[in-house]
Amino acid sequence: MPELTLRTLIGDGVTHVVGLPDSISGPLFDAVSSHPALRLVTVAREGEAFAIASGLWIGGARPLVVIQNTGLLESGDSLRGTAQRMAVPLPVLITGRGYQKMHAAGIQPDEARTLDLLTRPDVDTTALFTEPTLDAWGVPFKRCEGDDDPAADLHSAIEQARAQERPVALVVSRPLN
Amino acid sequence: MLTAAQLLEGLARYRTDEVVVTTMSSARPWGHLSSHELDFASIDSAMGHGADLALGIALARPARTVICLNGDGSMLMSLGTLATVVGAAPLNLILLVCDNGTFEITGNQPVAGSGRVDHGALAEAAGFRNVYRFEDARDYIETLPEVLSALGPTFVHVLVKPGTEGPIARGPAQEVTYLQPSLAESARALRAALDAGST
Repeated sequence: MPELTLRTLIGDGVTHVVGLPDSISGPLFDAVSSHPALRLVTVAREGEAFAIASGLWIGGARPLVVIQNTGLLESGDSLRGTAQRMAVPLPVLITGRGYQKMHAAGIQPDEARTLDLLTRPDVDTTALFTEPTLDAWGVPFKRCEGDDDPAADLHSAIEQARAQERPVALVVSRPLN
Repeated sequence: MLTAAQLLEGLARYRTDEVVVTTMSSARPWGHLSSHELDFASIDSAMGHGADLALGIALARPARTVICLNGDGSMLMSLGTLATVVGAAPLNLILLVCDNGTFEITGNQPVAGSGRVDHGALAEAAGFRNVYRFEDARDYIETLPEVLSALGPTFVHVLVKPGTEGPIARGPAQEVTYLQPSLAESARALRAALDAGST
């Protein structure tokens, strides 16, 4: 169980976790689903999460969206048209698929997007597109990997989202703590 | 088959203190019928996600009924929402689909599967607690009080004739009041109104 991350959610007053689990976030979903102070809303497709979270905030709740970076790429218009356009203070925890492959292949995020790169079997292009997409959509973010502390970084993302009244992302490519 | 006016006027007649989230072609006509502080237009937003927004409000405010006036084109854009609603099981959400078979505000182009997809059957299969279907105005009006008081989640499928609503936007020049502020301002206004109502 990612106890420190769960402690961050409780300490920061998060009321709802909205999203779709993967292998990194699965233990957090399990923990939230049985926690008396948190409500889990599992979505069918990630774009729903930004609109649901925006509605939760309008209703007075303090949601956190948790999705994989593949789901982020699917969520563009929903993120833009709800949480961002409504200026919702929304922290978004994005689990990062493909980062280890990218590092192992010696690929940098700013590598030229050649057809060869985009079709290589040893490259997961999800990681390649995640941060440029967040940049393009105007979503502040931090990457959390290696020895970084996901729980502490999530706390910072929550504080930044609330201070700036906008969606702020944390991209996590390591296990939650 | 109802007209959109019959659908909206019927709802305006029985609506009391519910949150009403409008989308697409229902937004402007509803603004001519109602100026309630709990009206919210999901306009200049993300098409297909009005029902998700309404679900979020309903979950945050379980003592307040939330009605979403969705279109069939919008519903088709996020059919997974039916499963998400059923999973979250809000007792206070009414998802009403105005099914005119077209994308009305862009010129009434037919939606995918127009006239063949049964939205009520989709909701029933997804597991909604209540599913109502209306194609007769009198039946709709007579049943509305029951619809509004039923424990949800409730899905209402209404067959309506295509109308002539054109493109819709927000801004100070808009003729209906709730379309004049920005989406961010409207979101804050609804949040404040819900807070003041404290349910």
